[in-house]
Amino acid sequence: MKAKIDKGLRASLEAIEHSPRFYVWLSVLAAFILLAGYALVASLVLSMEILEFSLQIPWATMVSAYTWLVVVGSGLCIINALGGVFGMHRYEMMSKRIVFLSLTTIMFGLMFIMLHLGRPERVAIYNAISPNFRSAISWMGSLYNIYLVVVVVEFWLLIRSNLTEQAEQAEGWKRTILGLLALQDLSDSRLDGILEKLHLKRFLYHPRLHRILDDPRLPRVVASVAFITGVAALTMLGSVFAHAESRALWYGPYYPVYFLVSALFTGYAALLAATIITYRARGEEMPPELKTLMFEMAQVLALLLAVGFVLTSYRLVTGLFDPLRQGPTLFILKGPLSPSFWIFEVGLMSVVPGLLLVISARKKSVGGVLAGSLMVLVGAFVMRYLFVVGGQIYPNVFPRLSADLPIILPSYLPTIMEVFLIVGIFSGFLLAYTLGEKFLPLKEEGPEHA
Amino acid sequence: MNKTAKKISRRSVLKLLAGGSISAALGAPTIVFAQSRRYAKLADTFRCIGCKRCMSACQRWNGLEMDRYELITDRNTDLTANSWVVVNLRADSDNRTQRHYQHWACQHCERPACAGVCPVTAITKLPQGPVVINENKCIGCRYCYQACPFKIPRFDFEKRVTRKCHLCYNRTPLLNYMKPACVAACPVGALAFDYRHEIVKEAQRRVRRLKNPSYIMGLSEAGGTDMITILPAKPKNMGLVVAPKKVVNHTLDKIRISASGFAAASVIAGAMYQYSNTDQHRDKEKHEGED
Ligand code: SF4
Ligand code: SF4
Repeated sequence: MKAKIDKGLRASLEAIEHSPRFYVWLSVLAAFILLAGYALVASLVLSMEILEFSLQIPWATMVSAYTWLVVVGSGLCIINALGGVFGMHRYEMMSKRIVFLSLTTIMFGLMFIMLHLGRPERVAIYNAISPNFRSAISWMGSLYNIYLVVVVVEFWLLIRSNLTEQAEQAEGWKRTILGLLALQDLSDSRLDGILEKLHLKRFLYHPRLHRILDDPRLPRVVASVAFITGVAALTMLGSVFAHAESRALWYGPYYPVYFLVSALFTGYAALLAATIITYRARGEEMPPELKTLMFEMAQVLALLLAVGFVLTSYRLVTGLFDPLRQGPTLFILKGPLSPSFWIFEVGLMSVVPGLLLVISARKKSVGGVLAGSLMVLVGAFVMRYLFVVGGQIYPNVFPRLSADLPIILPSYLPTIMEVFLIVGIFSGFLLAYTLGEKFLPLKEEGPEHA
Repeated sequence: MNKTAKKISRRSVLKLLAGGSISAALGAPTIVFAQSRRYAKLADTFRCIGCKRCMSACQRWNGLEMDRYELITDRNTDLTANSWVVVNLRADSDNRTQRHYQHWACQHCERPACAGVCPVTAITKLPQGPVVINENKCIGCRYCYQACPFKIPRFDFEKRVTRKCHLCYNRTPLLNYMKPACVAACPVGALAFDYRHEIVKEAQRRVRRLKNPSYIMGLSEAGGTDMITILPAKPKNMGLVVAPKKVVNHTLDKIRISASGFAAASVIAGAMYQYSNTDQHRDKEKHEGED
């Protein structure tokens, strides 16, 4: 026993010595996750007030982070359709990474919203037995759940052949597990008998099921279903805000549209950043086709940023002339949050990265593309925050100037516990991606393999 | 006579059925039901003396945590999960010499926006008038607060659900509806409770007898509410939340808004198709070049 522990310890120490950076990274993430766990337990034991205290701004940083991450995931879903549905070979080569990223972003994004709810345990029951078809939240929740299931299937179909390959190379229990995951023939292992006894074998190895699974058209069908549910879910997410008639800043048919466009540019930015950082962290050189695709994607991203910028300007300019929307528009342009609007949403999210991306795509500088996409991601986070929190700060009560009640805008700053929780969930996401990158076959394959 | 009665009743039943199905589809199953049997509460700002007995009666009846300071102060108090009714001293911004105590709570809209957005249908408009949150069903998403045109429902951080005034639907068996706790506690008759049409009549009668200018809130705000308030001035001048004079968050409006998203999605799908065509062209050119 002792010898075994010793051996295990030595092996892990060696592994750490071998790649110290990787383990430092893992421990930092684990520490943040522990802090988030602490914040969560404290909120359960004490009161939820330590997380989100404001009555006037009940949707705060947690919801902004949720919107940011989930919209990134939905954008990745749309991008994946380029390869999976419309059959672009260049994008097909990246589809494993795109699908895995989309899956993890949406999963952890939904974790934000679950922890934001007062009673998350009730959601599954009551959204199933008494959904409100007039409520955008209900649609959004159901659609994202369907989407997650579809994406898991899509991802499994993508990596099935890799799993089979690995199973053939592995031995012992590893081989059994990988074989089961790939739904390969297991007749040489004991698991086969167990499955037989549990009556599972009949279903898992039904010839008709396998005929469907081996059909070459299946991946495209699944990708199309994922695309449709993902886009519908995203539109409903935009509608959650856009339906609220008494929130002047959110209301109207504009935001469902803008959510789609911003999903595309944040999705592209996240994909570029994740791919480039992954290759840098591994110290590997990108295959030339991938590099070309990176620069092409950078150009597309710049174009999308321009579209988003035009949409924003359209919203603001028409708002100035619309008596109903003048107040909210001036609030964005000149209100208390306007510095962040100009610096982050206009500068960091649109203008600077737009130029930077075009220039670096022309000069073939991967670093420039990385910097540009990171800027877009940071700027977009602030953009979501301004949208969610700013939409609630914009007052509903306007006493005349002579009234003795001055306009007191509700104020809000995240609490330290809220920050712990948010950073923890982001760390969880990064951990999931890191582990996935390490253990799952996400690597891009050149067209000759595909 | 019998015949006509039968005819009328059949026709009205048909109308009721048609109206019921249409409005159920549009999300207002209750408006057809017993318009004349719906109750409403009257709050008369001119008569209120600010004793705040309604607040303490509400807190006692509903087992809410009392904040005694709120009951004795003249400072502005806001609704919380534990005070579903507040009485605040307000002045008309055009005529600041006169100050009035003003009773503020959920307006029990005829077509409540909150019930229309609650994802788990925890909020219902009862046929008798009250809009009630089922606290055993609420998931604490606070969407009702965002949608409410009067910004009423408040989140309870201890119970982790959203709570608000329910017009004491639980005070008496519903069909033999008796006064809510606040109305029963009012010593000067500033609050009243009756069938809605009676309450509207009473409000108009009181306004006619007043010499001061006044405004009746609740007749058309948010498409009409089951709480009628007599104010000395328009809500905006009183520093109250102003609701539009139409049904808020109408279902058709929601469909219109979401449809824009789906339209944009089709445009994006078209653009993606075009983009993917470039790929095939390029591939073809490449192959031709290689050949
Ligand atoms: S006032 Fe607000 S909470 Fe009350 S019924 Fe109307 S929408 Fe619902
Ligand atoms: S907070 Fe509760 S009552 Fe309000 S919308 Fe959400 S689930 Fe419904």
